[in-house]
Amino acid sequence: MFELDLFELTKATVTTLVGLTAVLASLGVILCSSPIYCALYLIGHMICLALLFLLYNAEFVAAVQIIVYAGAVMILFLFIIALLGGKKEIQEPSTERSIAIAFVATMLGELFLSATVGPTRPIEGAFDAQTVAEVGGSAKAIGLELFSRHVVAFELASVLLLVAAVGIICLSKFSYVPLRRRMK
Amino acid sequence: MIDDVIDFFEPYTYLIIGSVKAFVIAGALLGIVPALVWLERRLMGRFQVRLGPNRVGPFGLGQPISDSIKLLFKESIIQSSADKFLFHLAPAIVVFTAIVTFAVIPFGEPVKIFGQEIGLWVANVNIGLLFVFAISGMGVYGMVLAGLSSNNKYSLMGGLRSSAQMISYELTLGLAALSIVVLTGSLSLIDMVTSQDSYPNILIQPLAFLLFFIAGIAETNRAPFDLPEAEQELVAGFHTEYTGMKFAMFFMGEYINMVTMSALVTLLFLGGWNAYGVPVWPIVAFSGKVLFLLCVFIWLRSTYPRIRYDRLMTFGWKVLVPISLLNLLVTSVLVVL
Repeated sequence: MFELDLFELTKATVTTLVGLTAVLASLGVILCSSPIYCALYLIGHMICLALLFLLYNAEFVAAVQIIVYAGAVMILFLFIIALLGGKKEIQEPSTERSIAIAFVATMLGELFLSATVGPTRPIEGAFDAQTVAEVGGSAKAIGLELFSRHVVAFELASVLLLVAAVGIICLSKFSYVPLRRRMK
Repeated sequence: MIDDVIDFFEPYTYLIIGSVKAFVIAGALLGIVPALVWLERRLMGRFQVRLGPNRVGPFGLGQPISDSIKLLFKESIIQSSADKFLFHLAPAIVVFTAIVTFAVIPFGEPVKIFGQEIGLWVANVNIGLLFVFAISGMGVYGMVLAGLSSNNKYSLMGGLRSSAQMISYELTLGLAALSIVVLTGSLSLIDMVTSQDSYPNILIQPLAFLLFFIAGIAETNRAPFDLPEAEQELVAGFHTEYTGMKFAMFFMGEYINMVTMSALVTLLFLGGWNAYGVPVWPIVAFSGKVLFLLCVFIWLRSTYPRIRYDRLMTFGWKVLVPISLLNLLVTSVLVVL
């Protein structure tokens, strides 16, 4: 008589379903012709990724994924689409299109090859579920790792982002005169 | 036979308890909405020296019921140029995110029922605060999609305004909450309440409380920050084209968000269910604080006029964000020292 572990079974089913949805959503991003729906598929894909993180006990990464990508970045995407007016693009065969199809086919072939050559292995690192629980939650584990061993890289990345933000302001600067002064 | 069934389900008791709790919380939240509408209309009436609804039932208590029945039976009109799928999706997103956010809000100490220890929360997540921000941040998609799919310039303006406003004020909200996280050393809302058992955080972080509350009003799109649905300039903003129950769903979302925001302020700054010597049950203390904050929300709405849109943005980016950054800096330095 085999033991039916309801919990493991449910978890495996949910993981497979979420993973499949993620793949389908990412296909939707490139196959859909309306920009609004493309953005929505991307949001769906990001939510699925966050769910996968959550299923593998990485709550902090899941929350950050939703807050930063699904929440902040994608709302800007939608903002731009709304401002520019999301028109459906008419697809017509062209050289670029056939090149793109060839590229995607190559990538898919490589993916298939890598799947058949060897079974995938989990990435080995300092943390597994046990050590994370001992430290006291994934947020704490990430904080300890980031601000002790990788503190220089972390600070350098933050400086890089700051430079990018200042740069974009300099590039997009336009001379702005308030309306009242322009009227004179 | 029965024993076998019980044995089979024994390890999954927590799943059953969890589902029951989820149903109870979702039902209670949906039930609270008509009561809040009644409270708001009655209080607004008093603030404006008139009576408010008083015809249907004693104290007008039947008014929300008759209103909901009216909304349920109204004809649902969708203009032909709208994007049908997104048009239906938008109010669903608003209500869904509003209800899910409440899942991690604890409102009392664990109680024992039939020998089972039951925590008065749906989920005890150790990143509770981040979860609230993540899901409530998703709620803005409902408004943006409503604006986009309606194919109406006023709705589009409302949707754009709401997304800009949410992004701007979420920063202040997060930074103000972060000072409490630094003080507590945990992201769990339950830890935050237990750390306040001798005095509430508002006494040592009054500035963070003010910032959080102001940003919270802006996040829930309440007056004086209700720019997305400004009646005078945008007709009704993103829900101009909505009728019947779908229209009511936006209001359900708004009122549930109001309750969640009040609960969050209570947990972070007012000591949660700690009663500080007043002999009441923890859950009564918590509900009392939330009810008081809800009344403050309504009070603010009837006191202040809506501020201008550019002022709203200037206020958010040039006043609130620098102050909250400074507050966070000072708090962290004090904690480290």
